Amino acid sequence: MAINLVKGQTIDLRKNDKGESFDLSSVTIGLGWDVRKTHGGGFLGKLFGGAEEAEYDLDAIAFLLDKNGKVANRGYAKQTANGRTINMFEGDVIYFNSMRHPSGHIWLTGDNRTGAGEGDDEQIIVKLDSLDPKYDRILFLVAIYQGRKNNQHFGMVENAFIRAVDSHGKEIAKFSLSGDSTYNGMCSMTFAEVYRKDGTWKFRAIGEPHSTDSLSELLRNY
Amino acid sequence: MAINLQKGQKIDIGLSKMTVGLGWNPNEGTGYDFDLDVSAIMIDANRLVPQDEFFVFYNNVDSPEQSVHHTGDDPTGGNSDGGDDESITVDLTKVDARIQEILFVVTIHEAQARRQNFGQVRDSYIRILDNQTGAEVCKYELGEDFSIETAIEFGRLYKRNGAWKFEASGVGYKEDLAFFLSKYFKGQIIK
Repeated sequence: MAINLVKGQTIDLRKNDKGESFDLSSVTIGLGWDVRKTHGGGFLGKLFGGAEEAEYDLDAIAFLLDKNGKVANRGYAKQTANGRTINMFEGDVIYFNSMRHPSGHIWLTGDNRTGAGEGDDEQIIVKLDSLDPKYDRILFLVAIYQGRKNNQHFGMVENAFIRAVDSHGKEIAKFSLSGDSTYNGMCSMTFAEVYRKDGTWKFRAIGEPHSTDSLSELLRNY
Repeated sequence: MAINLQKGQKIDIGLSKMTVGLGWNPNEGTGYDFDLDVSAIMIDANRLVPQDEFFVFYNNVDSPEQSVHHTGDDPTGGNSDGGDDESITVDLTKVDARIQEILFVVTIHEAQARRQNFGQVRDSYIRILDNQTGAEVCKYELGEDFSIETAIEFGRLYKRNGAWKFEASGVGYKEDLAFFLSKYFKGQIIK
């Protein structure tokens, strides 16, 4: 029996009175948003329009942290066939350029660049029970790709949400990223973490927004 | 017409569905945000919460029988311009039979660390609205009445002979949310 007054922590307070808990043997982090609505072209649009407005491209990100709360393996720089360099490939950061962890136990289902489709547009799936014991905590984040450059922030994106679902498809937590003035000007968010405690995994919702859209900036503390 | 409450004043609310609304203005100066919280503590005849979930606050927004609902945390006061920033809705017809009293408190989150008190917060109030008509039943202006305090016992709904009444407590403390909770909950409180 404990009540937690620390903000940003969800106690395992289920939404029913059966005292159900969540099965965290695997957890899916789902990110969803709607495709940008074009702002009616019309006369003024033609007059002032000009530049094509960029689509909203939200990215789900996961950091696998060790006992010291750090990303131990930052992967390596990989040259792609077309001469691009990809940083942090096959490290302990799961993101659009490195979608599958070498262990195979955590992966990003794909990079959705527009929000097309219903429900979750991007998912990170983690088989928590299979993870190497050296991983103590996984932090899940969401960022708007090039949000600063495109003047985009959560306050503008339609119907954006991030949620966590347990092995049985039961929703553990969900944050709406749209329509909350707290997220105006914010391009990224530390959504939640799962961490090992007393031999089991615990889920904690954080929901802390940040103004940066930069992955390296978000990674700085880890 | 709202009643501006006197301490200890009792009112027959005669409502079954009401909203306790907390409103304040964001900090426009420098320094920390003002993070006010409204919470409801539902207690039984032993003057304790029968189970954790009868403490309705920012980390637990529904009582088990769905009679009391918290609209969610507003960490800055920016939720509404001039209106309620956090609300707790109450449906007295659904309240668990064990519950004898529902206590409403307002606290400033991390007031001590941020060196804040109600006197610094602009246009803060707590009030009760009738959900049927939207009319204001009663109201406290927090900044005037509790300028040096950080925690307020707003009032309590209590059952007498099967009917619910509201008593305005209007007591301020230099305390935090854990202080109120510890009176009615004997388990561990994580701060």
